[in-house]
Amino acid sequence: MDQNQPPGENYAHPKICFFHVLFKAASLAFYILSTIFVDSFVIIFVVTVLLAALDFWVVKNVSGRILVGLRWWNEINDLGESVWRFECLDQESLARMNKKDSWLFWWTLYLAAVVWILLGIFSLVRFQADYLLVVGVCLTLSLANIIGFTKCRKDAKKQIQAFASQTIASRVSSTLQSAFSVV
Amino acid sequence: MENNFENPFHGAGQVGQAVLEPTRRSSPRTPPFPYSSLPFASSNAKSPTPSPSPVVIPPGHNIVAPTLTEPVWETVQRDLSRILSNLKLVLFPNPHREDPGKALRDWDLWGPFFFVIFLGLTLSWSASIKKSEIFAVSFALLGIGAIVLTLNVLLLGGKIIFFQSLSLLGYCLFPLDIGALICLFKGHFIARMIAVFVTMFWSSWAAYPFISSAVTQKRKALALYPLLLMYVSVAFLIIATS
Repeated sequence: MDQNQPPGENYAHPKICFFHVLFKAASLAFYILSTIFVDSFVIIFVVTVLLAALDFWVVKNVSGRILVGLRWWNEINDLGESVWRFECLDQESLARMNKKDSWLFWWTLYLAAVVWILLGIFSLVRFQADYLLVVGVCLTLSLANIIGFTKCRKDAKKQIQAFASQTIASRVSSTLQSAFSVV
Repeated sequence: MENNFENPFHGAGQVGQAVLEPTRRSSPRTPPFPYSSLPFASSNAKSPTPSPSPVVIPPGHNIVAPTLTEPVWETVQRDLSRILSNLKLVLFPNPHREDPGKALRDWDLWGPFFFVIFLGLTLSWSASIKKSEIFAVSFALLGIGAIVLTLNVLLLGGKIIFFQSLSLLGYCLFPLDIGALICLFKGHFIARMIAVFVTMFWSSWAAYPFISSAVTQKRKALALYPLLLMYVSVAFLIIATS
């Protein structure tokens, strides 16, 4: 979050936006174009899946934190239960997030998953089980990030609403109290 | 393994099921991410988010780029150290550990991912024909096998968490990776077979305490049999392709 952010004109973190898009686009491009000049399926598989995994890591750990201020993870508590943890910035910082950054973040996230679904349909139609495997793995990674961040955002909104209504309720009650005390 | 990076979110306060905390800190400028509070705590004097030049290190590699900044690098280091610690926990199971089921609390899927890819690559490399199919088959076999084994334990009423079990089965694949690597050096057939069987027993021995502690006494055999079956079949796959 820059201190001197020009009024809504530019991206606040252009390098991170670039990397956010880079690995997604690279894995999609490699997958689509690879059949032209690469003969071996193994190389296509490994490179595509590696790029998709890198993208997953970058989105989850770097661009999610910095572009939209959200973070999600899973941990196992002492009772042996799995707990999904969602973390967001406090309200003022969230409001200060660059709109362009978050627009790019969410749109590329969804768009990439849609393209993978389309590619999956293509390979399904052509009965290519091994390419379907590649698409399946990449799609799983994209969907995991989408679900995690969407849940995180919903929780953030709920928390903000709860906080806001709590503030309003406390304000109203304190106003009532002061009104009654005057009377 | 009590270094600070293991469970940094223990300091985040108690949380129920998926509860979101709008984390607040005394200085409103600092982005309050407890998860990465450790790297930020030391750099509080600087600007809160030193816009990290995100030259990201792919997990598992050790290339150092000159423009790395602290926060991203710390995340990478934490992930790498977690992979290593999980690997050590799984491969050298301490029989006197008080609760083997607790060991892989800090599960992650990066280690299993790399081991599965590595095994597929090794098998595909050493095969003389049908390289692509062998790779795809081994990947699918390992992936689906791990999922099915986990479902098996869950359906038998075992108390294990889905991702923890996937992570565990992936880490236990490491000895078989070594076995496949040994088979790459085309030595005597008997030597290769012995190496593969030794690593297969090591894998099964590593996975045994977790699985057996998750199910009740009567169902142990039911839970362990498919596990052994899968590792035996992977071992035969390694021998057959070398």
